[in-house]
Amino acid sequence: MTFFKNNGNKVPDHVHAAAKQVKSGGLDRREFLALASVFGASSAMAYGMIGLPTPARAQDAQPKKGGVLKVNMSIRTPKDPRLADWTEIANSQRQSLEALVLYTPEYTFEPYLLESWEVNDTATEYVMKLRPDAVWTNGDPLVADHLMFNLTRWCDKSVEGNSMVARMGTLVDQATGKIREGGATVVDDHTVKITLTEPDISFIPNLADYPCLVVHPTFDKDGSDFTRNKIGTGPFELESFAVGERVVYKRREDGKWWGGEVMLDGVEFIDYGTDPSAAVNAFEAGEVHANYETTPDYLDIMDGLGLQRNEAVTSITIVARTNVTNKPYDDQRVRNALQLGVDNGVVMQLGVDNAGVVAENHHVAPIHPEYVELPKVARDVEKAKALLAEAGAADFEHELISSDEDWHKNTGDAIAAQLRDAGIKVKRTVLPGSTFWNDWTKYPYSLTNWTMRPLGVQVLALAYRTGEAWNETGWSNKEFDEKLAKALSIIDPEQRKTVMGDVEKILQDSGIIILPYWRKVYNHYQPVVHNYIQHPMQQLNLGKVWLDEA
Amino acid sequence: MLSFILRRLGIMALTMFALTVVVFFLVNLEPNLKKLAITQTESRATAEQLESWLERNGYRQNFFVRYGQWLGVVPKQPNIDAATGQAIPRFRFCDEPSEPAYSGLLQGEFGCSTKFRVPVAERLFPALGATGILMFWVMAVMVPISLLIGVLAGMREGSRTDRTLSMASITTTATPEYVSGVIFTVIFASWLGWLNGSAATATNQGITFSNFTLPVMTMAIYGIGYIARMTRASMVEVMTQQYIRTARLKGLSFSSVVIKHALRNALIAPFTVIMLQFPWLLTGVVIVETMFRYQGFGYALVEGAANNDIDLLLGCSLVSVFVVLFTQLISDIGYAYLNPRIRVQ
Repeated sequence: MTFFKNNGNKVPDHVHAAAKQVKSGGLDRREFLALASVFGASSAMAYGMIGLPTPARAQDAQPKKGGVLKVNMSIRTPKDPRLADWTEIANSQRQSLEALVLYTPEYTFEPYLLESWEVNDTATEYVMKLRPDAVWTNGDPLVADHLMFNLTRWCDKSVEGNSMVARMGTLVDQATGKIREGGATVVDDHTVKITLTEPDISFIPNLADYPCLVVHPTFDKDGSDFTRNKIGTGPFELESFAVGERVVYKRREDGKWWGGEVMLDGVEFIDYGTDPSAAVNAFEAGEVHANYETTPDYLDIMDGLGLQRNEAVTSITIVARTNVTNKPYDDQRVRNALQLGVDNGVVMQLGVDNAGVVAENHHVAPIHPEYVELPKVARDVEKAKALLAEAGAADFEHELISSDEDWHKNTGDAIAAQLRDAGIKVKRTVLPGSTFWNDWTKYPYSLTNWTMRPLGVQVLALAYRTGEAWNETGWSNKEFDEKLAKALSIIDPEQRKTVMGDVEKILQDSGIIILPYWRKVYNHYQPVVHNYIQHPMQQLNLGKVWLDEA
Repeated sequence: MLSFILRRLGIMALTMFALTVVVFFLVNLEPNLKKLAITQTESRATAEQLESWLERNGYRQNFFVRYGQWLGVVPKQPNIDAATGQAIPRFRFCDEPSEPAYSGLLQGEFGCSTKFRVPVAERLFPALGATGILMFWVMAVMVPISLLIGVLAGMREGSRTDRTLSMASITTTATPEYVSGVIFTVIFASWLGWLNGSAATATNQGITFSNFTLPVMTMAIYGIGYIARMTRASMVEVMTQQYIRTARLKGLSFSSVVIKHALRNALIAPFTVIMLQFPWLLTGVVIVETMFRYQGFGYALVEGAANNDIDLLLGCSLVSVFVVLFTQLISDIGYAYLNPRIRVQ
């Protein structure tokens, strides 16, 4: 069996075929780049295959040493990384604990703690090779046994809230709830071989997700708590961690980061709370150099302070979903009527100040490699009313529930207002974020936000398959499940796309979600900061950042 | 006097007991326990996972047993891992005895804060200290200014000074902190740019004029109007007394009458009001500290409530009871000093 090595110059034939399709306009550029890098092409090669130069990140002046970078970001409770449910939790740890794979702002995958990976052409076997030069802060070199330790942790179903289980796919033995015997084997000191029982093209992309941080084998002995077990492989070492206040990192003392010389003396994350005006004050007073995120309504104000702006298109979104186990949402006509009552463009305008891309009521984004464009669902009030009357639900009062987070609330309000305009009765309920999640999968009609995942099939598999834990719609469609399972195993992009077109269409037609838009994300930084970027999944890897303060 | 103080301390202990039982009952309601399990596992964890977490960490034990453990009259059992037979602490950021032991309030253990991931004492007392600093500055600004305004307004009832000052006091008292705070932030932080609209740096980088003025100002101005009105009312009443007239008739100057004869008697009512400000400040800081993100007692209370941080909330209620009843004790003793006719018994 042929293996294809990442960052190499050999890729399967179908990738070459795909490159031709890009040139002839048959395939999207982003789709190709993600695909090519999963199957081993380096960024340079992937870009080269479609006749483009590799985008150079601004390498301006000579980096200067010194200074402490201060970033405004909310400091949440530092959980075991595999339980992390906020990107910020992982960001507050990933300056020391690192990921195996990095999803780049160019929408490709690059090895990070891995030196390389190889995948067979049916995506059932992966050979992962660790960097030989990665060293823990306690002096231990990073070896294959450590990777095995982490894979075992990620596959442990008995740990409540371990979200890595879903990402490990068939490496988890569903019967025992542990890693499958023989699923992962140590080949040599730095190499581990993974054997899956089903093809899984999302295995490498999943390793780039935020909870996937590699911890030292002694991590669980110290209570799985990063503030107690601070051993990491990253460029910085943790000095102090105060929830809701600040996290302080200093450059690692032994100077042995595999990524080379670290310019910053340290990094501090400071929490200014949820009020964006406090963030403005912090920038004005010179208390911070950069922020984690700028909300769209503050873009102009931040620009006005003389700050630099970064942006990235993402597949972060929010869905207004119905739960089909509740009446009257068991009736497809009612669900479709709700979709028809709403103009997604207006929702985007009111919900996130137009900072996004209008979507088509199905959960695959234009930046996903397998995206097939479907016709947008236009607003049709007459048809919506007719459908509701037909279903005998014309007088039903819908209760649309959302959390109180700004953009969730605004999006919900915009949807409710449009439905009311269309003559549909809607009651709005806004719950505080702290109680909203108690029953999020059970509400009859509510809004749920979904974070960015690099492949379109990933969220579909988590949220819309029959019986999945995160299936909040209670929806079950045999045809959808079958086609999605097929899509998850097809390698050839054009073939996968024909299936994806059907998958998207079934989801769109079912009416279970209004998915109005895909968000863009922004951050700001002082001009003295260099190499501070907007990652599409909002991850902050600050090892290469430097300050021009002297 | 001693028996009076002892009786008051007894009442305090009883109140603490009653309040903590009520709080303990509330934080152990099913939706609140679920909220805690969610914050400690993952926001999208399944119901079975939440249940298993609650079971494993002992939240399904009998209510009274758990209250007793918190109080320290029932021994806390170590959490034994079924697989290895070893004791693992329930919360890995706090040390726990590996053998059954009494470790509760009576032993001086406040428990673990699940939100801040530290022992409660480590979070609560610095927070109280921070609030203490805020309260001190609020009092230092509020008391002299409000007494001065009250006395000036009250010594000549109905004069132009009285009318002007009264109107100003009524306006500030009628404006709650969450309104005045926003107005001050807009004017002084956003528009003029003189002050920092966030006190986030005050707790860890030190207090400066720029980051601390707005919270102090917001709290003090609300209180100033109220105390000034009370002082004025009391002053007005005193100024109509017979002995003031007598003092005037015997030829004393107006200032001497006010300072030597009226003031001390006029201060009894405002003294009560000022002492009553302490409990009010403790609740008032919840709004102001959250608004300006000052990491004190109010902020800890809000965060604790939002995450159903059981031990932290219980700790906060103890502190509240203590502050309220202790300031009242001091004010009762203070009366006796200000007015020798009053006897404490």
